[in-house]
Amino acid sequence: MRLPSRRSVARGAALLLAVISAGMSPVVHAARPNVVLILADDLGFSDIAPYGSEIQTPALSALAQRGIRFTNYHTAASCAPTRGMLLTGVDSHRNGVPNIPETIPPEQAQYPNYRGTLGHNVATVASLLQSAGYHTYMAGKWHLGKSPDLLPFRRGFERTVTMADTGADNWEQKPYLAIYKKANWFADGEEFELPKNFYSSRFLVDKTIEFIASNAGDGQPFFAYIPFQAVHIPVQAPQSFTDKYMDTYKAGWEKLREQRLARAQQLGIIPPGTAMVDMSTTGDWESYTADEQRYHAKRMAVYAGMVDAMDHHIGRLINYLRQTGQYDNTVFIFTSDNGSEASGGDDPRSLAMRIALWQQGYVNDYDTLGLKGSFNTIGPSFASAAASPLDFYKFYAGEGGMRVPLIIAGESIPEGARLTNAFAYVTDITPTILDMTGVSPPSGRFGGRPVESIVGRSLLPLVRGDADRIYSATDTIGYELGGNSALFQGDYKIVLNIPPVGDNEWHLYNIVKDPGETNDLKERMPERFNKMLAHYHQYTVANNVLPLPANYNQAFQGIANGTLDRFGPQILLGLLSLIVLLPFLLLYRSRNR
Amino acid sequence: MKTLFRILVALPAILFVVMGLRWAVDPSAAAEALGMTLMAGVGLSSQIGDVGSFFLGMGIMMLLGLITAQRSWFQAAALLLALAAAFRALSWLLHGAALTPDMIAVEVVLATVLLLASSRLAEGK
Repeated sequence: MRLPSRRSVARGAALLLAVISAGMSPVVHAARPNVVLILADDLGFSDIAPYGSEIQTPALSALAQRGIRFTNYHTAASCAPTRGMLLTGVDSHRNGVPNIPETIPPEQAQYPNYRGTLGHNVATVASLLQSAGYHTYMAGKWHLGKSPDLLPFRRGFERTVTMADTGADNWEQKPYLAIYKKANWFADGEEFELPKNFYSSRFLVDKTIEFIASNAGDGQPFFAYIPFQAVHIPVQAPQSFTDKYMDTYKAGWEKLREQRLARAQQLGIIPPGTAMVDMSTTGDWESYTADEQRYHAKRMAVYAGMVDAMDHHIGRLINYLRQTGQYDNTVFIFTSDNGSEASGGDDPRSLAMRIALWQQGYVNDYDTLGLKGSFNTIGPSFASAAASPLDFYKFYAGEGGMRVPLIIAGESIPEGARLTNAFAYVTDITPTILDMTGVSPPSGRFGGRPVESIVGRSLLPLVRGDADRIYSATDTIGYELGGNSALFQGDYKIVLNIPPVGDNEWHLYNIVKDPGETNDLKERMPERFNKMLAHYHQYTVANNVLPLPANYNQAFQGIANGTLDRFGPQILLGLLSLIVLLPFLLLYRSRNR
Repeated sequence: MKTLFRILVALPAILFVVMGLRWAVDPSAAAEALGMTLMAGVGLSSQIGDVGSFFLGMGIMMLLGLITAQRSWFQAAALLLALAAAFRALSWLLHGAALTPDMIAVEVVLATVLLLASSRLAEGK
């Protein structure tokens, strides 16, 4: 009989010791992974390098090399509904956020599921993780309610620094829209003043590192949620990041859309031969003067710089986790809250626009574009390129509004750099995190009150490579946001986009073969179309989807709601004063006649 | 001269009415305008009830004086303003409050205007 060598005995002893110590360790949480959930704002489908972008995003590319890229992941086409579903796994019409509160008409706002703030009938993933022993941190945009009981500090996050509005300036504490009196920042539930040297992406990562460091080494895992302001308007970036792209967009938006289509095909993000449409809102680049082209190219260069800067700071966080030995046990989830944002028009230097910006304390001249005091946008033409090769953009139910990047990465994920074309939806993120961390979803009650059940499904089988798809060919996923509607089933999607950009008609597409939504199958597949339409109506009934009032206009509603919210007391005061003073005036006149 | 007095009374009267109503509609802004922080509970009730009624009541008294030409309305409003000025001075002297000469001056001047108006506008009554 051959005796084992001294080295193999030592290995065996070490292995035995490891097994025993793992089994007896009092720090049972140590094996549970940390989770970093990163949410970009208004980032288009092809805005990062792993999805075909020319923008340099080395940190996200490195994550993609260590994980799985979802090419058929869908979210809501607008900010708050996505955030509500992302953090709860519950449909937006059941969690209280079916639309952003700024554009909900009063006819709908009277119903509890249409308040536009995250209801107390849902548990957030942070609450669930916190109750399971996780440290829970958040640094970034919330937009799910700003009263004390609705802030993230009261929704399961242990440490927070958060901006409660639709958006805000990236360089200073300043509102970007006249509907806000100030940019509403809070830290741990209290009003908060930003530091003088603030730049949003850098600050949010600094705070995240600060939060993680404050409890590092205590044996408890952490969940960090980082909803960046990048690349929401105002599009702003440090000059050094913008400078990298000053020559990149001189050929215009049509060329960019084609280049990204080609790269996305090369990467396998979309199938070969994918067609795309030219949106009606896309301008003819050649019709612009050289000066106008130069200006538009810089608008997009600042946008690219802002994405690049966000990636740079994500890289800093990853480096910090590496240096502190926490990287190997951390899972990263990166995605966007909706497709690219088209606001700002293709004539941002018009007199009316400049007066509006001036009134808000902004300029948009070429030299300072993207810097402090400057208000930049990319407009509908570059927004369409940012969503290349998809149709539509933010707010609309077209693929350009709903399909965004999703990367799930980490050292623990087997076989890095994989792609999946399986359908996935924003409500799947919470159950995926719960599955990864071994935390049970709420079963009817949480925190002493009844809560909605999670409707999303864990993507973990896809991540592990144990499954090819999560949703079967017969499963249906309904969607509605401000009248823009869709239903997904298997490889197919029916979709209705409202005016002014949409035609208010239903269409049927095979979004696996035709992600650009160029080939309407409604006439060729009437049976499938009608069945899916019936499923959509079932979805609206089951989820209390309310009809929009006649002549609803999102932009007008936003102005009306914003004016009432900001100036409501003043308007009421004026009316009351008139009512009180008018009788005195009439009496005075009658007596002196 | 009578027209001048009517204007000098009517403008602050309207201002006081608006200030009083503001306590009912937007108390935080109303408090901020007077250098106060908005209280809670009973304090908030007193702030809105007492301060709001002070301004609204005074404005209405001044307007009633203009309409009825009865001097007692002007005198009542002047009394309130003079007392407000006196209590401001006392708060500084006895309780360490900030001295607000601009506010005291406005109240004293306005009380004087109201007393003069009570004799000029109520002439012949």
